[in-house]
Amino acid sequence: MSQLFSNNIGSLNTTNITNFTVTDDRPNILAWLSPLDPRLRHQDIRDRRVENVGEWLLQTVEFKSWCVGSEGGKSDKAVLFCYGDPGVGKTYIR
Amino acid sequence: MEEKGRVLINCYVSSLVIDNLCVQARGQNAIVACFYFDSAAQNEQTPASILGCLLKQLVFGLKDIPEELSKAYEDQKNAIGGQGPQISDILEMLQLTSTRKRTFICIDAVDECAPEDRAKLLDSLGQLLQLSPGTRIFVTGRSHILPEIGRRLAGRVTSVSISPKRDDIVTYLRSRLAADTISDAMDSTLEADILKKIPNDISEMYVMATTFRKLP
Repeated sequence: MSQLFSNNIGSLNTTNITNFTVTDDRPNILAWLSPLDPRLRHQDIRDRRVENVGEWLLQTVEFKSWCVGSEGGKSDKAVLFCYGDPGVGKTYIR
Repeated sequence: MEEKGRVLINCYVSSLVIDNLCVQARGQNAIVACFYFDSAAQNEQTPASILGCLLKQLVFGLKDIPEELSKAYEDQKNAIGGQGPQISDILEMLQLTSTRKRTFICIDAVDECAPEDRAKLLDSLGQLLQLSPGTRIFVTGRSHILPEIGRRLAGRVTSVSISPKRDDIVTYLRSRLAADTISDAMDSTLEADILKKIPNDISEMYVMATTFRKLP
């Protein structure tokens, strides 16, 4: 999996520090951006997961090529949409 | 109950993907931001607050606050009563942070978003991809919004159905049965019956929904 990020953009965030400013306002600025915080919800759902259930998705060609991407190339699919509907007894397992 | 189940199956997959991406991002120059929609909180979940929430997580992962962001924050303090960041400003900032780190954005249950807000959000994500083509966006939702996603993010979407496979259901049932606290009522014959019958007879979504519901 480590090669997935081989096309990243290097270490701009450490070499380009002149564009950043140190400020005491950090917590205020972050709070100003949005009152929403998804961390609790994520933690809650993660705690209910069962090992190996759903892992197949991570092995699909779609997921893998979405991860790697082609940096805005013409055929690059930057969006991966996963859809699931409620079962009403019609949707049987393949 | 089925509504609940649908939310759960989608968010289950979202949380799995988010954690997988976080592991991949660790030690790499990449960062992950996520958002889970909740239909009960539609009023607070405006396109600006959602995009702001994503930006907040990305900025949180940087060592320092970008100067442009500090300036935007200072500027709004002069407005009467202050005001939240505008979508156009947030998109500019998102573009800026994405040049520092490869950016993954995950949005769960986008169909839970009010239609007009959803249109605005998807269009904003489309704009972000134009500004920052390397950004990766993961979205879950019901299949009926697939055409809308395709229309608003034209040419940029791959889609996958996330119905769990038979193996998933068996693994899941085993785990739930093992955690059953009323073990006297369960014997090996009954357990074998359950593992044999449920994956064959009942919709996978239904199974996930009902087993989830029994969790504390």
